[in-house]
Amino acid sequence: MSTEPSLPHPELLAAIPRLRRYARVLTGETTRADDLVQETLARAWEKRRLWAAGTDLRAWLFTIMHNVFVNQRALARRDAQNVSIDGDEDGNAAWQIPVRAMQQTRVELMEILREVGRLPVDQRVVLVLAAVEEMRYEEIAAVLSIPVGTVMSRLSRAREKLRRVAQATPTEPSTLKIVK
Amino acid sequence: MNPLPLTDADLNAYVDGALAPARAAEVEQVLAKDAAITARVAEMRQQNSALREALDPWLADPIPPALLDAARMPQASARWRRFAPYFAAAATLLLGVASGWYLRDVTLERGGTPTTFARQAALTHALYAGDINRPVEIWAAEEKRLVTWLSRRLGLAVHAPDLNGAGFALVGGRLVAGNERPTALFMYENADKQRLSLQVRKQPPGTSEVAFRYAIEDGVGVYYWIDDACAYALSGQLDRAQMLTIGRAVYAQLAAAETGTPLK
Repeated sequence: MSTEPSLPHPELLAAIPRLRRYARVLTGETTRADDLVQETLARAWEKRRLWAAGTDLRAWLFTIMHNVFVNQRALARRDAQNVSIDGDEDGNAAWQIPVRAMQQTRVELMEILREVGRLPVDQRVVLVLAAVEEMRYEEIAAVLSIPVGTVMSRLSRAREKLRRVAQATPTEPSTLKIVK
Repeated sequence: MNPLPLTDADLNAYVDGALAPARAAEVEQVLAKDAAITARVAEMRQQNSALREALDPWLADPIPPALLDAARMPQASARWRRFAPYFAAAATLLLGVASGWYLRDVTLERGGTPTTFARQAALTHALYAGDINRPVEIWAAEEKRLVTWLSRRLGLAVHAPDLNGAGFALVGGRLVAGNERPTALFMYENADKQRLSLQVRKQPPGTSEVAFRYAIEDGVGVYYWIDDACAYALSGQLDRAQMLTIGRAVYAQLAAAETGTPLK
């Protein structure tokens, strides 16, 4: 048996659907999301010595993905200083995941996807990690390199926003706009 | 006792199960008395479950080959020679897991040979049964929603058989992207935390029926059979006799459901 450190393949494969989903939440589109997953997997293999076997592979991969995302964005902006997704104005643009990729026919689910897509990206990712990935607040804080208190305040703001939207638009199909 | 006033952060943490037990108990005291806060908590729970329901289908999207490749250990040429044995073993594993997505189960479709299916079922079982925190996408508490969702995605009315008689309670279920056809997985657990999974998928028309068969794949025992339009696999690390008993119970319940007898 070789002593070369490695990553467990079945778990790596099993993590791909979740990585893709989180990448879509981060980037707001499908093609860039898959590029991000690919880069994340490549980086994971490069850094495999840093993974402590037996610890949560998914959380480790999410952390790598977050860093790759932040770095890519820094390069894109040619602004390597003080870059994070915090207070990001890009996040306010609605995501461009086509309805077909959402595979949703239920109106209220499409509605919630649309509203999540409108959250600033820093709030959107915290909400998805907590509510959908069911990560603990400490894990989320580690993935995003932010304090736990910040995780909580973003989560609270995200939920408050979704709630206001839900109250402002009661479920009347006639008032819905189709997501382009 | 005079608990601290509730903050929005408390409520969020309560909904996410992130509060210390003592504080959670205080929140529950307030909930018992305050209908508005109770409604707010219910609303947040509803939001969480709608979000999961909206985003979970993305998990079943077929994985592009480029990403399957990226999950493979990179093969720098010198390294490849040094670690060839390890890589070969890894590639075999990868091939086994990926065969559903990548080779589209050619073997099964061509010859009706279920070897691939059993192996795939065993590997899928091993992946999810070993996942302590999230073995399933939808928990048994929402069984009705789970069954509706899986039936819709499979294009087939599926049921979660009741295995309480054998000491196994339903944990929940998930959709598995193991094939060009989605596969439904129901997970069960007994008091000793042993887990069983039942996987169901639609077969292409004309697939020949296969009676109960047993295989051991990577240490996981799999009972599988193909019945009309469906393939079933019951996987677990129990002894064979126990697996057979449970397999028969599953089969009997499914047969009863097919002939229209209501399941209870």
